[in-house]
Amino acid sequence: MSSLSEMPELVMENIMWFSDFRSVLTLRQVCRDFRNFIDDLNDSKLPDSKILKMGIISEPDENKIMLDFLESEDSFHRIEYSEYENSRKFQEKTTYLENLNIVDVAIRDLELILKFQKSNLECFSFCFDDFSIQDDSSIHNLPIKLSNMLNVTGRKIKTKKFTVKSHCQFQIMSVLPLAEPEILEFINLFSLDDNMELEIDEIAKTEQWKKAMIFRSDCHLLNLNVEDICHFSSCALKTNSISARDLDFLKKTYISSSNFESSYFELKNFNKNEEISNLWGPEFISGSTRQWYFRLKDSEKKIMRIEIYQDCDIQFDIVKMSEVRNGAIVHDYNEN
Amino acid sequence: MSSTEQGTSSAAPAEPTTAPESAAAPEVPESFYYVHGKDKVVHKVSAGALQHSALIHGMISNLGYTEEQAKANPFPFENIDGDILQMVVDWCNQHKGKPTPPEDTNLPKQKEKLFDLVLAVNYLEIKELLTYCCKQVAMMVKGKSPEEIREIWMIPTDAEDEAAEKEAKKRAGKEAAGETAAAAGDAK
Repeated sequence: MSSLSEMPELVMENIMWFSDFRSVLTLRQVCRDFRNFIDDLNDSKLPDSKILKMGIISEPDENKIMLDFLESEDSFHRIEYSEYENSRKFQEKTTYLENLNIVDVAIRDLELILKFQKSNLECFSFCFDDFSIQDDSSIHNLPIKLSNMLNVTGRKIKTKKFTVKSHCQFQIMSVLPLAEPEILEFINLFSLDDNMELEIDEIAKTEQWKKAMIFRSDCHLLNLNVEDICHFSSCALKTNSISARDLDFLKKTYISSSNFESSYFELKNFNKNEEISNLWGPEFISGSTRQWYFRLKDSEKKIMRIEIYQDCDIQFDIVKMSEVRNGAIVHDYNEN
Repeated sequence: MSSTEQGTSSAAPAEPTTAPESAAAPEVPESFYYVHGKDKVVHKVSAGALQHSALIHGMISNLGYTEEQAKANPFPFENIDGDILQMVVDWCNQHKGKPTPPEDTNLPKQKEKLFDLVLAVNYLEIKELLTYCCKQVAMMVKGKSPEEIREIWMIPTDAEDEAAEKEAKKRAGKEAAGETAAAAGDAK
């Protein structure tokens, strides 16, 4: 009888192509010959993994790394790597890694899964919650090793949304360049430390930042330059303060932009009210909120609203004409 | 090419001068070729059905056999079992000149037969049938564990494979040693 392991290359290629991604991973575990064959196969000959979302998480309890992937809303998988046990667990099956390191194994698994990714992911998230893990744990190397792996293979993560939960800027800077800039739309940064500060001018130099359309961050941003954020159709961030001149620059950019939706700035302090009134004219006051309305360059029906709440938060958004408050003035579009 | 000439000749069958020519050209009526497998049982197959096999199609177009020559020289496929070749021939006949459907549910369910069929089809370069067969193998792999796959298809584990290799080397070494010993004996 002919065995599956004696099939010619073309036949094996065909079988791989018609298999689903998990069958190929299973075949890879059958024997050395299959593993070599699959690893040497060009990515274009592998089936699409059809994964929607992926995530890699370092977890301080029990020194673990988790690799999550969601194929559809009702099909979620997790591979768990435990530093204490030096093991990998997938679907109730635990493998002991002997002399291998969990970080290396997790990264190799991720690399393998990415080989099968043809369609774009909706979201890829990183969570580096290693602050309370002992200093000598290899889990601290996860961000830098991830960065090395993808630099070596030249592979970029094709995802629309890129989420990083971290407690220092270095972690973000290690992984943000891994996203494919042509596909990235949304950068979402979370701080795992309440006092976390980010020097955003460094992050703004990346290609990923320049190509993204949406930005959200709950970290406190330093060195914010409004020219770095004016291309976002939507953004929400925290920073010290924004000058009246910079706010006016944003206003001018937004009213002439065709894709602007909203932006929200949470400021530590803002005391440029007089300057702003001089620039934008009389405001409409409602409680502790001051509002201005401006016509847009490309729309008759929609209006840009600017609101300053309690002298610290500022919001720009687009509203319908009917949402303009009674008694408020709608300023005509004026480039200057 | 003489196809236009033949076209004219078949459109005017009343012309007696063209009759011997059309008899000499094997395409009109259908030409047949002969193939046999390991069991030497000869199958008569039309050129149209054999079109599916890129290998045989290539052989035919280079040969230009007459009916008699074809009959006298069946293509030997010694590496293909008789029953497998029969399956291939049946499939080619069934799908002669027809566009192939997206699925084929008539493939053997027994894995031994399926694998032999895959090898034969790959050798004969029958692209569509190979696709169906590979789809079927992929279906059989789906949802199985590595252990189950090894068991079903009798694939040795790496450890067993290495042991077998060592054993084979050892045996080869012994045989070689035996041969030299024998040769040495002969020399005496």
